[in-house]
Amino acid sequence: MERIYIDNDMARFTRRDLTLVDMDLYDGRHFERLEPRRLFPITGTQKYITLLDEEGEEVAVIRDLTTLPAEDRRIIEECLDEYYHIPKIIKIKSCEERFGVTKFYCVTDRGECTIEVNNIIHQIKLTHGIRVLFRDNDDNRYEVPDIRRLDSKSRSILDDYL
Amino acid sequence: MDNNIADMQYLCNRTLSQERRGIIESIPQSGENILFVVAADLNLKSRYAEAFFIATNVAVYSVELEDDSESKNTSKNKRKNKDTSNGASIKSSSRIPYSKVEKCKVKRNYGNAVLVINDTDGRYINFIRFSYKVAYLFDAAANFVENVGVKKHGTIDEEMAIMEVAFERQFSFCPKCGRSLIHPGANCIYCQSKNKLIKKIGKYILPHKYVLIFCLLLSVATTAMAMIPPYMTGKLVDDVLPNRDLKQLRIVVAVLFASYLLQQVIGAFRTYMLRVVGDKVVSDLRADVYRHAQYLPMKFYDRTSTGSVINRISGDSANLQGFMLRITQEVVVQFFTMIGIIVIMLSMNWQLTLLSLIPVPFVVYGARVFGRKIRPFYRKIWRRWSAVTSILTDSLPGIRVIKSFANERRSTEEFEYYTDEWLKTDIKSARITIAFPHIVSFIITCGSLVIWGIGGRLVIEKPEFITAGLLVTFISYTSMFYGPVNFFANLNDSYQSSLAAAERILDIIDAEPESNNGAGNKLDVIQGKIEFRNVSFSYDRSKKTLSNINFVIEPGEIVGIVGTTGSGKSTIINLLMRFYDGYDGAILVDDVDIRDIDMEYYRGQIGYVQQEPMMFHDTIYNNIAYGVPDAHVEQVIHAADVANAHEFIARMPDAYDTILGERGTGLSGGERQRLSIARAVLKNPSILFFDEATASVDSETEELIQSAIERLIRGRTTIMIAHRLSTLRKANKIIVVDKGEIIEMGTPEELLAKKGKYWRLIQIQQMSEQVRKSKEEENFE
Repeated sequence: MERIYIDNDMARFTRRDLTLVDMDLYDGRHFERLEPRRLFPITGTQKYITLLDEEGEEVAVIRDLTTLPAEDRRIIEECLDEYYHIPKIIKIKSCEERFGVTKFYCVTDRGECTIEVNNIIHQIKLTHGIRVLFRDNDDNRYEVPDIRRLDSKSRSILDDYL
Repeated sequence: MDNNIADMQYLCNRTLSQERRGIIESIPQSGENILFVVAADLNLKSRYAEAFFIATNVAVYSVELEDDSESKNTSKNKRKNKDTSNGASIKSSSRIPYSKVEKCKVKRNYGNAVLVINDTDGRYINFIRFSYKVAYLFDAAANFVENVGVKKHGTIDEEMAIMEVAFERQFSFCPKCGRSLIHPGANCIYCQSKNKLIKKIGKYILPHKYVLIFCLLLSVATTAMAMIPPYMTGKLVDDVLPNRDLKQLRIVVAVLFASYLLQQVIGAFRTYMLRVVGDKVVSDLRADVYRHAQYLPMKFYDRTSTGSVINRISGDSANLQGFMLRITQEVVVQFFTMIGIIVIMLSMNWQLTLLSLIPVPFVVYGARVFGRKIRPFYRKIWRRWSAVTSILTDSLPGIRVIKSFANERRSTEEFEYYTDEWLKTDIKSARITIAFPHIVSFIITCGSLVIWGIGGRLVIEKPEFITAGLLVTFISYTSMFYGPVNFFANLNDSYQSSLAAAERILDIIDAEPESNNGAGNKLDVIQGKIEFRNVSFSYDRSKKTLSNINFVIEPGEIVGIVGTTGSGKSTIINLLMRFYDGYDGAILVDDVDIRDIDMEYYRGQIGYVQQEPMMFHDTIYNNIAYGVPDAHVEQVIHAADVANAHEFIARMPDAYDTILGERGTGLSGGERQRLSIARAVLKNPSILFFDEATASVDSETEELIQSAIERLIRGRTTIMIAHRLSTLRKANKIIVVDKGEIIEMGTPEELLAKKGKYWRLIQIQQMSEQVRKSKEEENFE
């Protein structure tokens, strides 16, 4: 089956729920309750957004969010923000290691939180030289989008674990 | 259980302050009793917040609180329910009675989940949001609401019993480190002993304590002997040389000779003894790490590269061994040497002694700074080296794939990239590690220059106060004194490096092994009845792989599990094999929970034939006899015969003695598969699992394997996962799995008549089979 790729203004989106949208394609087809999901949630947050129906079947793929009209782009981005809870770490206030658990006390864009990591080798990863991904002991995800933008104290704390 | 929680009349996953309790208890309408409360950590806007899910006997509530301090800042707020109570207030709340619930489920997103309720008015309500930290409690809460409100399965008391188990599970995890405990409420083995790292590692040294004590005594002897030369040198300068006393000279030289000779001989003997002990310690440590690695659950290997495990077994254990010997030997020797020298120096001249101690604070302070700076480097170096070894262990066994894609250059470039990363980090760390000892040496030299300057002046101006011989002796002792000081300054370096190694080794040694709660519990005979009772499972917490699986297989039945890729078929086998134990519900064999059966015995009763069977670098005979090493030769041959393998083995020049390459190279896929079946035949199991056993072989080989399988499964309970549905022709029952749920179950005839998913799969397969067969015939022609 040919995959439908959506570029530019090929489709109109309407927000349906927290993470769901309705879609009207340029050819008149209408789809309801589609869930936008990233095909590359770690390496590419703006490109290749798949739209899944309630059965989990793919209906279409948005090639590049940035090419969509502003309103449609906003709707999709809002849904993605709801679906993906990956707090962006703005500041690392402190860090302590006790009993083999490393706790990072952080300020994120979604509020303050404590990230508990048992295995710093597997659960903290540096990608592309500047981005740091955390996976805590409960499988929650966090990220530092660019370590160069952290304040010097946070950076120095984090640098010891990279 | 926590006292505060025990005081409460309802279950809660968090210790609640009086004011929080006040707020929560004020929420339900009159006449309602709170049954349980689950504290969530997010609000509906996906921000960290204080929120609660409250279940009463009549309804469920979601409540979001806000700190008053916060609300004062942000408010002029638009609060719906202004209900303040000592520091916190209700920001928003909602209520849904059970009578209005039509459906309740947890919708898992990425890093968060939402409890969603469909009400009888057709509304889809996002009721409360939370992170994965509490997702398992909300799973139970959703089931509770469904069962009480919608399905009306049991009484509230019965459903609360299930909730209590879910709440108890939170105490099955250590609150400090999150690892699961042996039983709810038990002490965490890991946390108890982690801070006694040295003690833990020290157990490897303990068996050799007598040898080590003997070595220590030898060290004391050599150290005492090392004190002699400076004293004799002073005597030489002050008495022998000025008096031109040849007799005394001969004695001094003889004493010096004897002292040097004994030092070397005893030193060499001691080094040899330590080497032997060291080798034994490292071999014990490696064996222990390897043994632990064998019993670690599959979950550990899902997230740990084999390269990193190999690195720990080989490199880290050697590093740690060196450190342990240093701790038990050198630290003691150097400490006493230092004390001995100070005492001798003080007795000779206390003023000069104090002068010579001037550099000590600088050296000690420098060591502390150095330690702080160097520790992250050791971690980084290990991380990068681990990446290098991971590439080695991944790429070399896969060399055929690399070559077939002509990817040698890319593979080399990738290796070079990681080696380069390691190199950069190592060079950075070398700057510090190399500079530090030189700086220390320089400070010490400066210290001795001060003594030369001041002491020399005293010798010239006040010879009655200090003689030249005494000064020479003193300078010698000073340089000897800084030996131990330097040692302790640098000890931090190796201590840090070893601490990092110890952390990584303990990561394996302390990792929870597969739980074997039923150790020793063996059933007389396994009949082969298998039952899945409400089994749900996820590999990580982000997605449920199996949801509420229920089925019963009677002894001797042949059951096929079919479904599309990723539907959860192999996970069912993984759970049955007890590769993963962290599932909800129960799996029973002969009506006994498999978690309560002795693990080794249980697995011993199962024959497991995988899609890509693993062969070891050993003879064909040993590969077949892998599960039953003491099998009789004829049993092995018979097993090979049953598996349709004997003929091709016999045709090989070395027959059963043929040594297979790594991972069974030298055999075709079908041949490896038949050896794997022979292994299962020899094991004579009560239960058999086939996971896509004929998926990657041609039709002719499939026939051979199929006939071997049919001979093997006679009279045994068999579960077959098959991609090719034709291989399930003998099945009594078919289970169709889709997206982790059972969507159809029945005899093949029943399912075909139903014209559902199974029927569709059959249709598709028949068409593709025809195409495949005609292609094979074409190729043959």
